[in-house]
Amino acid sequence: MKDRDYTHSIQIDPERCIGCSHCMRVCSTRAIRIIDGYARIQPERCVDCGECFRVCPQRAIYAKDDGLDNLPVENYKIALVPSVFIGQYPSDYSATQVLDAVRQIGFDEVFEVEQTVDFMKEAYQSIAEGNSSRPLISSYCPAVVRLIQVQYPSLTGQIMRLKAPHDIAALYLRISKEKEGVDPDKISIYYVTPCAAKIVAARAPVGEAKSPIDITVNMTVIYNKTSKILYDTKKPGLHKTFANMSPDSVNWSLSGTEKEYFPGRSLAIDGMDNVIEFLEKLESGQISDIDFLEMRACDQGCAGGILCPANRFLTVERLSDRHKKLQKLKDRDNGRVVNYLMDCSKMLHEMSGVDPVYPRDGLLLDEDIEKALIKLQRIERLMSYFPGFDCGACGAPSCRNLAEDIVKDKASISHCVFVQRVMEKNYKLSPDQAFVVIEKIWGKGRLDKYAGK
Amino acid sequence: MKIKYHIEGGDFSAAGIASSEIKKILKQFNISPLLLRRIAIALYESEMNVVAHAYRGTMHLDIQPSSIQVVVEDEGPGIGNIEKAMEEGFSTATEEVRQMGFGAGMGLPNIKRNSDEMKLTSTPGVGTRLEFKVIF
Repeated sequence: MKDRDYTHSIQIDPERCIGCSHCMRVCSTRAIRIIDGYARIQPERCVDCGECFRVCPQRAIYAKDDGLDNLPVENYKIALVPSVFIGQYPSDYSATQVLDAVRQIGFDEVFEVEQTVDFMKEAYQSIAEGNSSRPLISSYCPAVVRLIQVQYPSLTGQIMRLKAPHDIAALYLRISKEKEGVDPDKISIYYVTPCAAKIVAARAPVGEAKSPIDITVNMTVIYNKTSKILYDTKKPGLHKTFANMSPDSVNWSLSGTEKEYFPGRSLAIDGMDNVIEFLEKLESGQISDIDFLEMRACDQGCAGGILCPANRFLTVERLSDRHKKLQKLKDRDNGRVVNYLMDCSKMLHEMSGVDPVYPRDGLLLDEDIEKALIKLQRIERLMSYFPGFDCGACGAPSCRNLAEDIVKDKASISHCVFVQRVMEKNYKLSPDQAFVVIEKIWGKGRLDKYAGK
Repeated sequence: MKIKYHIEGGDFSAAGIASSEIKKILKQFNISPLLLRRIAIALYESEMNVVAHAYRGTMHLDIQPSSIQVVVEDEGPGIGNIEKAMEEGFSTATEEVRQMGFGAGMGLPNIKRNSDEMKLTSTPGVGTRLEFKVIF
């Protein structure tokens, strides 16, 4: 079985892109090429981690969400807000205050996603009792799940078959609103997302046909609107009077909390490069006796999400403050936590599973092994002509990627500027032709700009 | 398609580089993930054996449309009793090697388990030749 749904959130605006290739150099799955003067993403390789977004000096890369534009007036609108959003604001603002400001944007109700963590903890216990092969890899971070699909096909079976907390929250809200008599067809659930990968997870989920999230909204957009409300009307006095979830729930999306709740030996790994280094070893069987791997594509987990405007380290500090505040409330109530979601935990357990995740074809040279072998031989031969220092002047991130593109008929050997010189010397290529080749990669007039015009 | 890699004995920090490179190549072929995993494990274990026991070695690969053949030859102390070496849990690894987390005596049995054909020959004092094949 293969997964061939290549829906993506990360997009490049050709109007803004100047083909500077910063993105191409940081892409972990080597999904970006420069063609006709701007960056293009290969859909079968992109995992929506957003590393390209971070480095784009032109702000030409964006995360396409569903947006707030189509707020249907008649629907009951619920905003799912992750704890990292509250961590965007200094600790002087209480969580209740921030969530209320989000509500004022035009929602009927606001729900903090991390309220589902108490349920997640239970789910981990019951999954740990099952006899799935170890280590299980957390399904929390959609960029990690997609990275495994593209680059570590033999590890897809290790991915935990459990829905993400925001999906559980959406399911819970549908159940509880229906009980309150709200027409289920008239409920719209919005998710305020800290990253692009979670937009894709809602639009094209893996392991399930449809996500319970209706609409995704870029956290930056909500941040701007909420900031205006918070700064205009600083209304003190909105504070929680009881702990509505276990205090450490607020840290779930960061690095290191989730792993504590899987029985046995577990590790927390954050940052794309670190995740890749570890999966590489895991795939070769170099790592044994680990039960659970918590993995986050972003450094510091979701606090480092590409759509979070605040500094990730400040966010982590604020969430730690929040953890302490909730702990105080809990202690004052003799250790009592009042989480209404847990009244539905039995029902949620039945709905929380997902189907197996299947690999993607991103790295395949050819469906047919015999043809792929011939292509591989050609790649090895081509490599002997290339300089091997991955200058990127061909519009591909490395010499090997250029060779791969050539055997897939997506590029030509003359794209290499070194090979061009040799071809010119041997009269295989005229200077005019070489010029055309460069313009084909870096865009028309690209060389003119640097001639002092 | 033939590929050759050099493996340095005793260089534990570099152990796994050759098998990792080969793994990257194999991912470009349409072979089942399960098979890929088996090959990856067998490759790593055989590379590790050279690193842990020999002075130096080479890994020769021959990828065919229906199989992959791996030959690992090393210069080293060789194996005195091959039958014994194939037993699970048997290892001649030094205490030093074991403290690094290697030498559990699972390497050769692991290669056997993850390959379709395996042949091990050795001349004590000269070196070892390991040959295995995985059919796609």
